Amino acid sequence: MWCWTEVLEALVDIGELEDYPSNKIPGFYERLVKTLPSLVEHRCSYEEHGGFLRRVEEGTWPVHIMEHLTLELQGLAGYHGGFGRARDGASVGVYKLIVATPHEAVTQKAIYIARDLLLALIQDRPYDLDSQVDELKELMDDLCLGPSTSSIVQAAAEKGVPHIRLSKGNLVQLGYGAAQKRIWTAETDKTSAIAETISRDKDLTKSLLAAVGVPTPQGQLVDSAQHAWEIAQDIGLPVVIKPQDGNHGRGVFTNLQTQHEIQAAFDVAQHEGSGVLVEKFIVGDEHRLLVVGDRLIAAAKGEACQVCGDGVHTIDELIQLQINSDPRRGPTEDFPLNPVRIDSMAVLELKSQGFTAESVPKKDQEVLVQRNGNVAFDVTELVHPSVAKKVVLAAKVVGLDIAGIDLVARDISRPMEEQGAAIVEVNAGPGLLMHIKPANGKPQPVGQAIVEHLFPQGHTSRIPLIGVCGPLGGTVVSEICAYFLKLSNYYAALSNHHGLSFNQRVVDISHHSEWELGHRAILNPMVEAAVIEASAYGILMEGLPYDRCSVGIITEIDRQQFFPEQSITDERQLFSLYRTQIDVVLNDGLAVINADDPLAQDLIDVASSPYLVLSIDQDNALIQASAQNGLRNIIQINDQIVLRTGFDIYHSFSMKDAEFFAPHTNSEKVRWMMAAIAAAWATGIPFATIDTGIQTFMPEELAN
Amino acid sequence: MELQRVRALRGPNLWSRHTAVEAIVYCEPEERSIKELVDFEIQLRTIFPQLHIRNVGLNGEPLAMAHVIEHVVLGLQAQVGCPVTFSRTIKVNTEGIYQVVVEYSEESVGRLALDLAWRLVSAARFKHPFDVEDALQQLSQLDEDVRLGPSTGSIVQAAVERNIPYRRLTQGSLVQFGWGSKQQRIQAAETSRTSAIAESIAQDKELTKELLHSAGVAVPLGKVVETADEAWQVAQELGSTIVIKPRDGNQGKGVAVNIRSEEQVRTAFAVAQHYGSKIIVERYMPGQDFRLLVVGDRLVAAARRDPPQVIGDGRSTIAELVEAINLDPLRGDGHSTPLTKIRLDDIALATIAKKNLEITSVPIKGERVVLRNNANLSTGGSATDVTDDVHPDLAASAVTAAKMVGLDICGVDIVCDAIYKPLEEQGGGVVEVNAAPGLRMHLNPSYGKSQPVGHAIVQMMFPHGQTGRIPVVAVSGTNGKTTTVRLITHLLRHHGYRVGMTSTDGIYVENERIDSGDCSGPKSARNVLMHPEVDAAVLETARGGILREGLGFDACDVAVITNIGEGDHLGMNYVETIEDLALVKSVIVKNVSANGFAVLNAADPLVVKMEKSCRGQVVYFGPSANHPVISKHKAQGKRTIYRDKDDLVAAIGQRVVHRISLSQVPLTQGGQIGFQVENTMAAIAATWSLEIDWQTIEHGLQGFVSDISSAPGRFNIFRHQGAIVIADYGHNVDAIRALVKATESIPAKRRHVVISGAGDRRDEDIRNQTKLLGDAFDCVILYQDQCQRGRQDGEVIALLQEGLHGTKKVSKVQEIHGEFLAIDTALQALEPDDLCLILIDQVEESLAYLSQITKP
Repeated sequence: MWCWTEVLEALVDIGELEDYPSNKIPGFYERLVKTLPSLVEHRCSYEEHGGFLRRVEEGTWPVHIMEHLTLELQGLAGYHGGFGRARDGASVGVYKLIVATPHEAVTQKAIYIARDLLLALIQDRPYDLDSQVDELKELMDDLCLGPSTSSIVQAAAEKGVPHIRLSKGNLVQLGYGAAQKRIWTAETDKTSAIAETISRDKDLTKSLLAAVGVPTPQGQLVDSAQHAWEIAQDIGLPVVIKPQDGNHGRGVFTNLQTQHEIQAAFDVAQHEGSGVLVEKFIVGDEHRLLVVGDRLIAAAKGEACQVCGDGVHTIDELIQLQINSDPRRGPTEDFPLNPVRIDSMAVLELKSQGFTAESVPKKDQEVLVQRNGNVAFDVTELVHPSVAKKVVLAAKVVGLDIAGIDLVARDISRPMEEQGAAIVEVNAGPGLLMHIKPANGKPQPVGQAIVEHLFPQGHTSRIPLIGVCGPLGGTVVSEICAYFLKLSNYYAALSNHHGLSFNQRVVDISHHSEWELGHRAILNPMVEAAVIEASAYGILMEGLPYDRCSVGIITEIDRQQFFPEQSITDERQLFSLYRTQIDVVLNDGLAVINADDPLAQDLIDVASSPYLVLSIDQDNALIQASAQNGLRNIIQINDQIVLRTGFDIYHSFSMKDAEFFAPHTNSEKVRWMMAAIAAAWATGIPFATIDTGIQTFMPEELAN
Repeated sequence: MELQRVRALRGPNLWSRHTAVEAIVYCEPEERSIKELVDFEIQLRTIFPQLHIRNVGLNGEPLAMAHVIEHVVLGLQAQVGCPVTFSRTIKVNTEGIYQVVVEYSEESVGRLALDLAWRLVSAARFKHPFDVEDALQQLSQLDEDVRLGPSTGSIVQAAVERNIPYRRLTQGSLVQFGWGSKQQRIQAAETSRTSAIAESIAQDKELTKELLHSAGVAVPLGKVVETADEAWQVAQELGSTIVIKPRDGNQGKGVAVNIRSEEQVRTAFAVAQHYGSKIIVERYMPGQDFRLLVVGDRLVAAARRDPPQVIGDGRSTIAELVEAINLDPLRGDGHSTPLTKIRLDDIALATIAKKNLEITSVPIKGERVVLRNNANLSTGGSATDVTDDVHPDLAASAVTAAKMVGLDICGVDIVCDAIYKPLEEQGGGVVEVNAAPGLRMHLNPSYGKSQPVGHAIVQMMFPHGQTGRIPVVAVSGTNGKTTTVRLITHLLRHHGYRVGMTSTDGIYVENERIDSGDCSGPKSARNVLMHPEVDAAVLETARGGILREGLGFDACDVAVITNIGEGDHLGMNYVETIEDLALVKSVIVKNVSANGFAVLNAADPLVVKMEKSCRGQVVYFGPSANHPVISKHKAQGKRTIYRDKDDLVAAIGQRVVHRISLSQVPLTQGGQIGFQVENTMAAIAATWSLEIDWQTIEHGLQGFVSDISSAPGRFNIFRHQGAIVIADYGHNVDAIRALVKATESIPAKRRHVVISGAGDRRDEDIRNQTKLLGDAFDCVILYQDQCQRGRQDGEVIALLQEGLHGTKKVSKVQEIHGEFLAIDTALQALEPDDLCLILIDQVEESLAYLSQITKP
């Protein structure tokens, strides 16, 4: 009832603070600003920079401040933006706090921190905010999507593609039911397992690339250091030595010149994988090119890491001082660059220059630590079209839909052949961060590209989804809708008060929450259309299980049933619960409104999608108004249900002989049938099928 | 006896369609008839009594040692179960030399068999000992190592039956089906569409269970708990008997099944805690283990799996019972038998120890002793096919499970009492979902019917009769191959295909050269057929590759033979005569698919002879409707293409299907250049055979010119200060003859020619070239080739000079060292309205040089 995204709702009892808005607490504003200066960004109801702080200065209630503190804390932990509201609760001093949540547990913790911080600020006590934020951040890293996956999910959201997390990890479903695709960081459900196996076998990958004319470094598998040396002499020094199956650059040694170096490299490499490759060392910079589908999306260039001696510090210390002090470097995925460590490769690299980690280089002496330390400098726009063509082909011949291609070239803006450039590796499930957050250069729209790849032009991420709400008729209407879908050969899911069924097969009648049953309906990849019933109480407690639907039906609003224990005590509040079913209708969907309901006009007023009104009374004022506006409407004329556009009759269905209406027709049943017909009409079900449906439908209770 | 050379023929070849080893064997005079060798045959039969051997050779010649080798190579392979039958030994013209050809199913096995046969026969000859059992053991071991495993093998077999081409990409089980843009891959029971994410999901058992449950598939639902109280709480919620087990346990350690009371739960929890802090409490499901195989959206096989077990007879110990069971011949050591021997190892001992039994215990009569908790075939379990018994609802549950996880080939493990009832009715459920499931238990169950699972997988990958093939045109012949290949490629590209082309200039995909050098062999063909962006392939298929390795494809849709003429490269590789050469080139005609076409030159008698070896139809092209071969073919109602004055005519029988004016074909210079008219007819016939429409063909022909970019070295015309300069790569008598004819039709004041000879041709072939030229040209420049191909310095020039003796027209002859210098010299001598034919050797360099220095 608050918004489309997931939120956490908390009840806060502020007790005696009710009498102390922020302006009445001496020094509070100053302390607040000092502790969290970034709150100035919060615009709040003034819709301006510093808007929130102005409210604090003028005086606002603690829960409102908590709302902003919570959002700010989440922001500090890495979840930016989001929805927040503070509202009066049922009794004096009790408020509802609603905050957008990246994950339940995170927001819960953030709210508690916000409370403690607020109290500390009010009472002018010290508070160790930093350690709390760190804890929150850690929790977020554990529970929330990683930055790569987030970028894809974000791009999906921008395209109107809904997402559902399927695991605690980064497995995410994009789209609903049969229209869904899955992603797991930079893998999609189109990513072939065989292709991944091939990409891990460097020798096979190279032979496939070579077969289709993609340049690769000459080389071969060796079984001993001596053999490696012989091959190295054959193909010409310098060479690279690497394990056949390794990944992430482990055990890869480049630019080896001497038998001694080759020996040392072989010894390390053979522990990493099943075989050792000797390859010609390609002179140039390492590049990482990201291919998605048939397109090159991004390219990043690697750079050598070196330190400059000062005659005082050891190389190890210099690395900390000169390289790792860079704020872009950090241990987690959020940083574009990793900290530099002296690993086995760096040891060799130093050794070839006559150093160890403990050596103290002379002042101004340059020491190379990693040849291609970090690939994070965006060069996407420089890539020569023929290079792009080659890397796309490389991904294709391996069979990967998303691939990170490692390419060594002196100049990426020139064709590969003329500079002896080569592709050295093809990686499945490539990291995206270096393209999303390059250390230098323009971030590339990688998430958008992946979403575009999964849902190309003309491929929807949604299935027909009919949402039904109404205390009396909702269940029957949902059944009729599902019946129509079944008759037109949809594999349909139905979630209503009787339970959950797939294609008419009941799978769960136990009393799970409405939300859970509906959620399961859209999770199932076999489901081609879904009908999900919601009750006002369900919407209140857990919200709807989907973000948007194609048809939203409200059969009637029960104006008597309040939920005082949830602070829903008047008709307006009740209305704001029900209207949720209309609010979630897609812009090209259809809201179905019962014109005979006293609140119908209010629903029409809030509908942002096209709507259809229905009534058993063709003189109903709303029907008249709708018809005059040339809108679709459904009315009863004798024993006919009549579909109209404006006043023009579009189609009539006979209710005669239909078992559902036997022995007597009553107005409720007619309206229910009308609502279901409206949904079927909007879903594009042929009238002949609907006709059959009307004649043969029996509600479940009666059928059994 | 001497083994001079061994080759692996990896595709259809001169001898057969089978893959084969080909050995050149030299036999000493006394070895040319084994009847003359005392005791040899007796020795041979003593060592290898299983050997079948004929008395005489194929053509009634005496049986030589080479024939014996042939039979032994075949016999050894047959003994270890390789499906091979074809072998030949051919005596060539050189005295004592035999070509031995023996089919293989795996190259390394074939090579080892040859090696072993050589040693075996030598042992028989020189009366050394030879252990044939050991040799067979070696061969059998290698065969088992390198041949496809049973799962992959069954899929490949099914593909072969569906006429889908396949190619192994590794020593392992990675196989490509189909070609070019239509290819797909498998690796054991994974396809290229098997999703990596789905595999990851299947590996996460808890996630899998959650997903299956959400789709309404019965699973042993449970929860992860951390305290005994929680465990009891969950046990009560589940309300049935339960299982308690450590989350990350293995081999059944710390697992308690079928428990119910609070006391049991708490005890079991305490035990499980020894193996990990996270404990799973889940519903206990009694029943038997079943494995259901889902392929696509169908259940294709189901098997009941029983763990290895013995049943007491009241007398024997467990060890004796196991021994008795292992006597069953169905039980073997590897994967080739339907059952594997039961092992009494530590796991078995631990399993029976739980029941207080030892291997010396004597179970009472009828007592069932389970020796292991898993039913894997490889550890002695058995599988019983129950495919026909599966209840449709249960099958639907298995399919939903596969779909929910996202696997296209999926092994669903189910525990339930009865496979013929829905799961829900009996409290059964899906316990696990497996990616890349083993197929052996369905292909070769211990009991019951074998299920055609390979066919189901192939059917999913290639539905409705698709074969994964792309149109393949093979082109061979003595002259005109490259132009024909380029023209066909041009026409197919015009049709919208992305075309992969191999030729003596390199491999081209979509007009981009991806490899250079002579790419007319099988390796290049295979590379094109593996390229994922190729919709059609046009493959120049030269003699060398066919002899060396066979074809790079199993069948083609169209085979084009431009001509044989007087041949080229004669005398190499035991190809002595033009008949031999025709035989080699006819290999592509022999391997035209049954619904394909051979495009043959009606004017070349040796080409016409190939008609009878073609499985498909033949399209003849020829100089006129009245040419005897053409008119006969027309009379038989078949397809022909011929020249009718200034038109080319395509006819089926007497009916003219289409007519193309030669004025619309710039390549032929309005029909003036005879050999280009032939190439054009061949290309039209090939594309017509692929059902390319006439409009596309006509437009394509209009846009094709023979310039240095589209057909380098093929009659490229330059202008130089009023003279015409023609560069061509022609290097044999037929090519020269065609060039003489073509240039004669162009009027000129004086005629110049620049020529070198390729050293690897026969003397007479070199002489004959200048003999022809001397009658048509006024000035001749002879230059020495950069590479002499095995000739002495000056030797080739001398031969060229000899050819010029007594010719009618030539008035001036010069000898030059170096190609560029020869070109310079010729151009300097040119006057307006002269004509100069330059027979270039280093094609690219010379053409680049010519475009640079000629001044129109």
